[in-house]
Amino acid sequence: MRRNLLIALIAVGTAAQLPAQLQLRITGLDGLASKAKQSSNITLDSNLIQMAGGFLGASKDKDGNDIKGILAGLKAITVRSFQFDQPGQYKMEDLEPIRAQLRSPGWSKIISSQSKDEISEIYTRLEQGKIAGFAIISAQPKELAIIAIEGSIDLNDLSKLGGLGIPQNAIPKQDKKGKKE
Amino acid sequence: MLTQGIAAALPKLKTGEMTDDPEQFAELVREHQAMVFSMACRYLRNRALAEEIAQDVFLQLYRKLPSLESPDHVLHWLRWVTAHRLIDHSRHEKRRPQSPLEDAPEPAAVSAEGADPLLASMLRDLVAALPENARVVMILRYQEDLDPMDIAKALDMPIATVKSHLQRSLALLRDKLSRTKGVGI
Amino acid sequence: MNLDEELRAALRREDPSPGFANRVVARAQAQPAGQPFGFRLFGVRMMWATAIAAMLVLGTSGVFEYRQMEAERASRDAVLALRIAADKLNLARDRVLRRTEN
Repeated sequence: MRRNLLIALIAVGTAAQLPAQLQLRITGLDGLASKAKQSSNITLDSNLIQMAGGFLGASKDKDGNDIKGILAGLKAITVRSFQFDQPGQYKMEDLEPIRAQLRSPGWSKIISSQSKDEISEIYTRLEQGKIAGFAIISAQPKELAIIAIEGSIDLNDLSKLGGLGIPQNAIPKQDKKGKKE
Repeated sequence: MLTQGIAAALPKLKTGEMTDDPEQFAELVREHQAMVFSMACRYLRNRALAEEIAQDVFLQLYRKLPSLESPDHVLHWLRWVTAHRLIDHSRHEKRRPQSPLEDAPEPAAVSAEGADPLLASMLRDLVAALPENARVVMILRYQEDLDPMDIAKALDMPIATVKSHLQRSLALLRDKLSRTKGVGI
Repeated sequence: MNLDEELRAALRREDPSPGFANRVVARAQAQPAGQPFGFRLFGVRMMWATAIAAMLVLGTSGVFEYRQMEAERASRDAVLALRIAADKLNLARDRVLRRTEN
């Protein structure tokens, strides 16, 4: 009985440490931005996510409220996205440091589609039966995207945001009133 | 360094009116004028306006001085006030609306001879066309040589935002320069 | 070309025109105490209190506006990030579905 309790305590202690160890670090892609015709490099911590949620909460449109709902459970968002003019600007080996992390215990690959020069993989990390982390590797000849999301997220809600298209220019433009970021 | 003597000067400046020891204050201005003026000049690309704003910042320092506690506090305060004054200025600027860097025409090609001064001028123009906050971040990084953590503290900005500004701005600059013939990035 | 080095060279500090410091001091000395806020009539103490209060209000509103801009920017980043994620999620799902059907 005492031994079982000890084992349970060790398991709980180990599980409590897992989140920090399992946060995905996106590395090895530093040189790609200079080769890309377009790239997005987004890093949002919990503070920025909270600010974004507050700002969107004031919005009256449905999209804004939908996104705010998704953001509510998130702790961190990291996106590295590249679009190239020509294929061959990166190698699959460049993704290995990231994929190696996703092979560690705690992460599960839930979707995998692979062909000769394309990879689409989705990974989740569960805590107490709920998604606590989510990662996408989407590699195509002229596009590469790595997305890492920490926190609780409903993939169906996220999926509904799709189909709106990724803006042509990933960097916000000045609007007609002369406001800019 | 003069600012290390500021603690000694402070009691004198605190008492009575703020007109005590103008020469000491002039020395303080000389110590920091290059930083403040250059931040304004790089931001605005207008020397006359930069001097005007720099003067306003130092006048504000003159009034604020008795409450500043240390040389570091003065430096941090000057950077903070200058940065926010510049951002506020461009927000309220109506006579000369600035176009975003994305819409800026590619700079004229650099000639083979004397490329450096022309490239420097080109880079200053491109930095001055960046969005407000990104512009300040780039100036603090490359003029003041602050690392992202110090920039975040100087501007009271999350470090992730600072890094995002740096990465995006550098990508934009590379893109603009790479489309200019003769500039190899 | 090393862009970092070129930027450091391009953005190197330079001094304002000669006599800048003296002009600042001259302007500072030309301003009587309290004049910037025009409360001479209320005495020096009230002038200080009002000046400090005004600076706090202006400083606070400046910080507030700054934070509003940061929130707007963060929201744009968040929207873009989630839409990229959604598109790639759906792309992966569609590929798996197509393979299953085939």
